[in-house]
Amino acid sequence: MNQRIATIFLVTAIAFTTSLLVARARAYNLPGNHQGYEPAQPIAYSHRLHAGDLQIRCLYCHSNAEKSRHAGVPAASVCLNCHRFVTAPLGAVRAEEELAAKEQRPARPVVSPELQKLYDALALDAKLQPIPGRVVQPIAWTRVHTLPDFVYFDHRAHVGAGVACQTCHGPVETMERVRQASDLSMGWCVNCHRDSAQAGINGRPVRPSIDCSTCHY
Amino acid sequence: MSLDEGEHGASAAAEFDSPAAEPSRRDFLRLAGFSAAGALGAACGRAPVRQAIPLVTQPAGAVPGRGQSYATTCGGCAAGCGLLVTVRDGRPIKVEGMPDHPLSAGGVCAVGQSTLLGLYDNRRFRQAMLSGQPAAWADVDRLLAGRFEAIRQTGGAVRVLTPTVHSPTVRREIAALLATFGDGAHVEYDTISASALLDAHETTHGVRALPRYFFDRADVIVSFDADFLGTWITPSQYTFGWARRRTPRAGRPPSWHAQIESRVSLTGGKADCRVSMAPDEIAALAFDVAEVVEGGHGAGLAGELGTRLLEARGRSLVISGIQDREVQQLCNHMNAALGNYGCTIDISRPSHQRRGSDRAVAGLLQDAAAGRVAALLVWHANPLFDLPGGDGLAKVPLIVSFAERADETTAVAHAICPDHHAFESWTDAEPVAGVFGLTQPVVAPLFGTRALVETLAAWRGRPRPAQEIVEEHWRAAIFPLQRAEADFDRFWIRAVQTGHVCVDPPAVVPRPASPPSIARRPAAPETTHLVLHHTPAMLGGEHAWNPFLQELPDPVTKIVWDNYASVSPALARQLQIASGDVVRLETSQGAIELPAHVQPGQHDRTIAVALGYGSLMTERFKDLGRHWFGSQPTVGPNGRVGVNAAALQALDDGTLRRHVPGVRVSRVGRRHVLAYTQEHHTLTVPARVAPPGGERRPIVQEVAFEEIGRGGAAAGHEAADLWPDDHRPAGHRWGMAVDLNACTGCGACVVACQVENNIPVVGKDEVRRNRELHWIRIDRYYSQDADGLHIAQQPMFCQHCGHAPCETVCPTLATVHSAEGLNQQVYNRCVGTRYCANNCPYKARRFNWFEYPHGEGSEALALNPDVTVRVRGVMEKCTMCVQRIQEGKIEATRRGVAVADGDIQTACQQSCAAAAIVFGDLNDPSSRVARLATDARAYRVLEELNVKPSVTYLKIVRQTASLNGGPASHG
Repeated sequence: MNQRIATIFLVTAIAFTTSLLVARARAYNLPGNHQGYEPAQPIAYSHRLHAGDLQIRCLYCHSNAEKSRHAGVPAASVCLNCHRFVTAPLGAVRAEEELAAKEQRPARPVVSPELQKLYDALALDAKLQPIPGRVVQPIAWTRVHTLPDFVYFDHRAHVGAGVACQTCHGPVETMERVRQASDLSMGWCVNCHRDSAQAGINGRPVRPSIDCSTCHY
Repeated sequence: MSLDEGEHGASAAAEFDSPAAEPSRRDFLRLAGFSAAGALGAACGRAPVRQAIPLVTQPAGAVPGRGQSYATTCGGCAAGCGLLVTVRDGRPIKVEGMPDHPLSAGGVCAVGQSTLLGLYDNRRFRQAMLSGQPAAWADVDRLLAGRFEAIRQTGGAVRVLTPTVHSPTVRREIAALLATFGDGAHVEYDTISASALLDAHETTHGVRALPRYFFDRADVIVSFDADFLGTWITPSQYTFGWARRRTPRAGRPPSWHAQIESRVSLTGGKADCRVSMAPDEIAALAFDVAEVVEGGHGAGLAGELGTRLLEARGRSLVISGIQDREVQQLCNHMNAALGNYGCTIDISRPSHQRRGSDRAVAGLLQDAAAGRVAALLVWHANPLFDLPGGDGLAKVPLIVSFAERADETTAVAHAICPDHHAFESWTDAEPVAGVFGLTQPVVAPLFGTRALVETLAAWRGRPRPAQEIVEEHWRAAIFPLQRAEADFDRFWIRAVQTGHVCVDPPAVVPRPASPPSIARRPAAPETTHLVLHHTPAMLGGEHAWNPFLQELPDPVTKIVWDNYASVSPALARQLQIASGDVVRLETSQGAIELPAHVQPGQHDRTIAVALGYGSLMTERFKDLGRHWFGSQPTVGPNGRVGVNAAALQALDDGTLRRHVPGVRVSRVGRRHVLAYTQEHHTLTVPARVAPPGGERRPIVQEVAFEEIGRGGAAAGHEAADLWPDDHRPAGHRWGMAVDLNACTGCGACVVACQVENNIPVVGKDEVRRNRELHWIRIDRYYSQDADGLHIAQQPMFCQHCGHAPCETVCPTLATVHSAEGLNQQVYNRCVGTRYCANNCPYKARRFNWFEYPHGEGSEALALNPDVTVRVRGVMEKCTMCVQRIQEGKIEATRRGVAVADGDIQTACQQSCAAAAIVFGDLNDPSSRVARLATDARAYRVLEELNVKPSVTYLKIVRQTASLNGGPASHG
């Protein structure tokens, strides 16, 4: 008798779980598909601010995308091109200036806590001068887009052919934290190769290959 | 108590007492459930978090993910070939030849290719050592300074023992250190000694120097046992010259090459006329030929050779690899009488690739035995391993070694001051007078080693970085020799960019002596000779630690991971031995036991044994390979790979002789399994399954020079095609051409491919089971006729067939055809059915039977990041370096140009010293490969199968072996 109750309970539970899983199946990925992956980064860098609001071109920081297989994460020294002068949000700097004017004292330099991590990595002091004796530490970003080891993707070919970064990476300029927008599956790659062979990219004819050895070698 | 309760209680007790002894069905289900849930949980989890760590400051010009090439000079042997080292994200990953180099012209041998592994070798010394204990450099310097000071006080003798040093800076630093001692001398000796040749030139030309040979200018080459394409002095550079003159051009026959030898060498296999003689007969023949050259006529073989030489005055070469001063003097006189000096031989700008003096090293051994040497400094030499009587050096009270890794000599050294790898330090080279090479570091030193010149400078009390030492020497001594650049900085930058500079050296003025009367030797009683020789991969044994070279099949015997006693079939019958039977070889110097190998074409009174084996450095291979039932270790019973035969060399009268008369052979009664690769993946048809008349297939084709272009070679197999012609590639169609006439079978391409394509080493036992993974195998074919044994070498790899039989049988479509004519192998689709390998008519596919390791620790850094590392259960084969094709195409598109012929080179093509391999686009009619595909000598292997291979082979050109005979006929 007990066994029968248990069996009925188990079957009901399994049916209920299955129906729930099926209903929400779209939210679950197949193994290997990391679409939607949005890891926290060591520095809360905002693509929305830089690429969206400030309209900095993707290739300004990811300049290797034109020249190399890897687009690459920019070296910390590239950040300093601007952040040698910009150390905090404009509002924070203004607020400090106003406060200083009110208190009739010279304004103190304002450094945002996130940028402080960058200066620490580069071993720079408050005046952005190298601290002697300190070793620079590269910033270990968490990789968002990864491909299996047997896939060789080349940024050069795609950037050169005029493929917009957003085609694969999604609207990065709206993302506070970068998220994997596409599933990066082989079918998704091949579909784009097939379609652009017909339609071209921005009206320009291209010859994308769908040979296996285009990516697998 | 009811019966029921009792029963229940008992069963419960049993269940709790010993659950493991009798797992119930419920336990099983429980465990299975947990496992399934665990697996499901693991599968749903995210992939491991990976990090992207950029540089803090990106150096100008450095682009992550792209290789950069640095010009440097090879440190693998004394040949001094120019190299381009590809560095990717800070680590060197590939060695290629410098195409503009005046000596090597882009070729790199197997040894040069595999020096890359030496950089990452896990067992290099990581710091200085004192009495076997790690020590700080400062302590070593302080201790040795004290010892040296004591020697200076007492006036003791200090000797620096090295192989040939042609680096001007290293020579100067050694001399400067030795000058601080009252009795200091630099002793050079070579494991592949050419001391007799140098001594002979001292007698005949008044200069002890090695002349430079121009094989590309020689119409007739007579070689008395000089394996100049395999091991003699600088084979890669000689191969380049030889192959240039061997390629038939319209109306001009290729050079005629006679090889007189007692064993079967790679060079003998390429000769038009190969004569098998015992070593004493070769010396006698040299006398006979010299008489003919002087007298103008003669009979027999000597007459033929002499007449050929006389017909090609000033365009011929007589060389000898025999360590015998008289034979060498005869060769010099023949060359002088033929007017070859100044034409095919240059003595006024001599080569520095051999400087060693056997007389000097014999003197050192005597001094050491007599206790007259106070300190011995050993660099790049291993005298305790490769010198007969070398263990006498262990008595020297202070031995300092600069070795990179432990060997026989470091075992007795008191101090070890490890030198940098050639890729980590500044140094230079002058392989030929006037041709200066520069070695620049391509990576920061990986371990706590120190460059030799820095160590020597520190001991002189003037510690300076190596770059400063080299640059200073170039400013003072080399810059003034040239006129092209007026400014030293510009000169230096150009030298660093190209890796070499050519200057006008002060000419050496020879003082030719009148021909001495060399008395013909009385005929000695016929004895069996022991011929100790070297192999192209192992050379003198300096690189015995290198698994790539150990697993490279010997060009002739196709044996890996062993040395052996080669005997002729007749001698084997007489001794009643077969290949693999262990024999004991006894000479007056000692005895060794090693397996026999029956070698056709070898002289009956000769037993050939390779040197360079049995080194302490090979003990590292004791665990290499798979360990399972019936497997055999890679090392032999002595715990090493092969047996050291160096002690059997005779060092008498100032000459290190490799031919030892009077060897006694006896059977031991033991067997040792040798790993042969020739019988693997064979294209020949077993006689019992062959159709009538199909027992022999024209796999290697030959043509007489006069017959080239005649008689429609292609008119053979016009088969009906069942395939619709619907997949004709419109864009590129990649293909290759291999000139079998130029290919010597040296194996440089095999190692180049192995390094480029991350091919693992599998070990002797796996090779024995047909499981070597080399994508290129070089098939060696014998043919026997009245003239003797002929050898054909054929590199065989995936032919990228247009109608590939492998593609039709793959159930998972893991191997398919690309639009550019490549036969693609997709590792991630492959499930390992091996149907494709079974259906491949060329047997070009290799299967990963196991997860073969790619070295240990730092050695994995040598892997090419552009090629997938294959896992167990996956088929693999030649991809025509598709990663290079992709790179070439993408780079061309990025620059907005079309891919030009020659832009994309496969790894094998790049390294080939003979330029026998050409890769390119068959759809481009102006490309070299397309022209070769329709060449008069072109044919395709097994064309009758109609699989339409993309690889063209060019027939071997056989010339008349004898003056009056017809061309040799082969199948």
